[in-house]
Amino acid sequence: MNAHEHRCGWRSTSDLRSSAFICGLVLLLLAGCKNALEAGHNTALDWVDLVKMTDDMAMKIAADPEVQRAYAQHGPLKIVVQPVVNAMTAEVLPRGPAEAFTARVRTLLAKHAPDRFIWIMNRDTYYRLLDRELEEIDPGPSPEAINPEYALTATFRSLTDEDPKRRSAYYLCVYELSSLADRTVLWTGSYEVKKIAVKGFLD
Amino acid sequence: MVLIAMLAVGGCGPTKEQIAASRAVEAYFAGDYAAAQQKLMQVAKKPDENFVLNNVRLGSAALARYDLDTAEEAFLRAYEVINSVGVNAGGRSLGAVLVDEKIKIWKGEPFERAMANFYLGLVYYMRQDYANARAAFENALFKLRDYADTNDAKDQYAEQESNFLIGLIMLGKSWQKLGRDDLARACFDRVRELRPHLAPLVDYQRNATSNLLLVVEFGHGPQKITDFDGSIVGFAPSPMQAGTIPPPRVTVDGLPVDLQGLTEPPIDLLAMAQDRRWQSIDTIRAIKSAVGSGLIIGGAGATIYGANRGREDTALAGLAMIGTGLLLKATSQADVRQWEMLPRTVFILPLRIPPGTHDLTVSFPHAGSGLQQTWRGIIVPPQGQATYYMRLQRWTSGTYTWPPMRDDLARIQPAYPAGNRTP
Repeated sequence: MNAHEHRCGWRSTSDLRSSAFICGLVLLLLAGCKNALEAGHNTALDWVDLVKMTDDMAMKIAADPEVQRAYAQHGPLKIVVQPVVNAMTAEVLPRGPAEAFTARVRTLLAKHAPDRFIWIMNRDTYYRLLDRELEEIDPGPSPEAINPEYALTATFRSLTDEDPKRRSAYYLCVYELSSLADRTVLWTGSYEVKKIAVKGFLD
Repeated sequence: MVLIAMLAVGGCGPTKEQIAASRAVEAYFAGDYAAAQQKLMQVAKKPDENFVLNNVRLGSAALARYDLDTAEEAFLRAYEVINSVGVNAGGRSLGAVLVDEKIKIWKGEPFERAMANFYLGLVYYMRQDYANARAAFENALFKLRDYADTNDAKDQYAEQESNFLIGLIMLGKSWQKLGRDDLARACFDRVRELRPHLAPLVDYQRNATSNLLLVVEFGHGPQKITDFDGSIVGFAPSPMQAGTIPPPRVTVDGLPVDLQGLTEPPIDLLAMAQDRRWQSIDTIRAIKSAVGSGLIIGGAGATIYGANRGREDTALAGLAMIGTGLLLKATSQADVRQWEMLPRTVFILPLRIPPGTHDLTVSFPHAGSGLQQTWRGIIVPPQGQATYYMRLQRWTSGTYTWPPMRDDLARIQPAYPAGNRTP
């Protein structure tokens, strides 16, 4: 191979390397680009917490001796479910998730212990459904027609902190089954979790 | 390959979503909030690098139309991504550094993040969901901590908080509605400590007895600008350039309301924006730009030298240096995406008005452009507090009827030039 052919060969190899590098870079960029909803994570309570928390609470309510005693004495407990009260620091809890965190407990208990509890829709949800005038859904008798005896409530609190490097949150989620007659607490349970999110380069 | 990459970067024009968003912003400033919202509803769904930006824009348009459902959803979507970390990890970070900073998912400057949370809190406050309002205002204050140096002690956050007193004021009002007088007083006392001239605004009794809260926005927020090189970004105008903020005037049923102590602006976003934090990517851009300039100059010299001496290799190397330099310059352009709809300031006016239906006028008589909105049929409740939001702009002056209709804001007498918008 003469000097000219050697130079051409070297250039070809060099061009190939440059092309491969740029193509590889483009592919890498494309492969690493998730969309805005897929990428990242935060310290908010998520569906994993929802499932774990509500599974635990439902199990504990069903197994609680005081609850079983109340059922034995008075028959099925008439319970109204309230959405979660948000007492978390710097964490918003929209209405949907606020209802979901207690609604799922109701759903689990309705499924696994249907004879022990009578579930009464809370007034706000009832009138909201009525406002929507959904023809295919019968909201049932008005809440005033059936008086609940107990209320299933939950309050979520958090110690949240944030600085330029990270955001951390420690959650304490407390559920209570309380008597509406004398405000005594028949059952209480809690769920705790700590989350930390470390900020990245362009965060 | 360098030439192809340059062409690829240089040939990237705006996408149809960007054009739609740009037109939506124009419609917003023209006062056509319905059109702005309609255009933004489409683009805000796309989870691309402008997802947060388009959703906060949508929230602004929806809030101005009192479409609180859409505003809440939009600000909530933005809130979730703003609160997330690692959003730009991996390919986007690399792309932002090597190719174009606009590849990154926009999350806004700290003051923009704070305002997104402020508006979310305002929507909850207007809906009397004071627990969520409180949480959103707290988060707004958290977002300002990104201005702080990483080595700052926590008490240094006071400086950042002192620039965002609207968050602290509304947090105090939320605590007051939640029955936590101790925490409400703590917030109000903090405002008084940081800005003594705002003492009348955070008077505990005044806020406790107020049955009408007006949240009035005035002026235009900061605009991102770049230097001649395009690589360094800042904000303009400065507060000095923009001039002083004129005081508002409120009349109810034709009679002036005493706003003594309430006419001092609690925030100036133009001032906040001047405190832009220098980030690592700014350094990278500046270096790329400087190196690019050096390569162009060096390459030009090498090309001329090689051409004059008949040295083809040198001339080609010079051209390659110029090409590389141009590529570096092209990829060092700063990201100038911003939330254009932000105001310069937000007045918070807690008033006590006889309960009933009233005609309310808010104006800025010293603004020089006849800014004024009159709302007929504002409802002031006998108990509790009603909150009304107003964005006073040149093309939204006029008379409106409460409640606003969903398809458009009803006007009785438009104050804009004929042909701009139809009632």
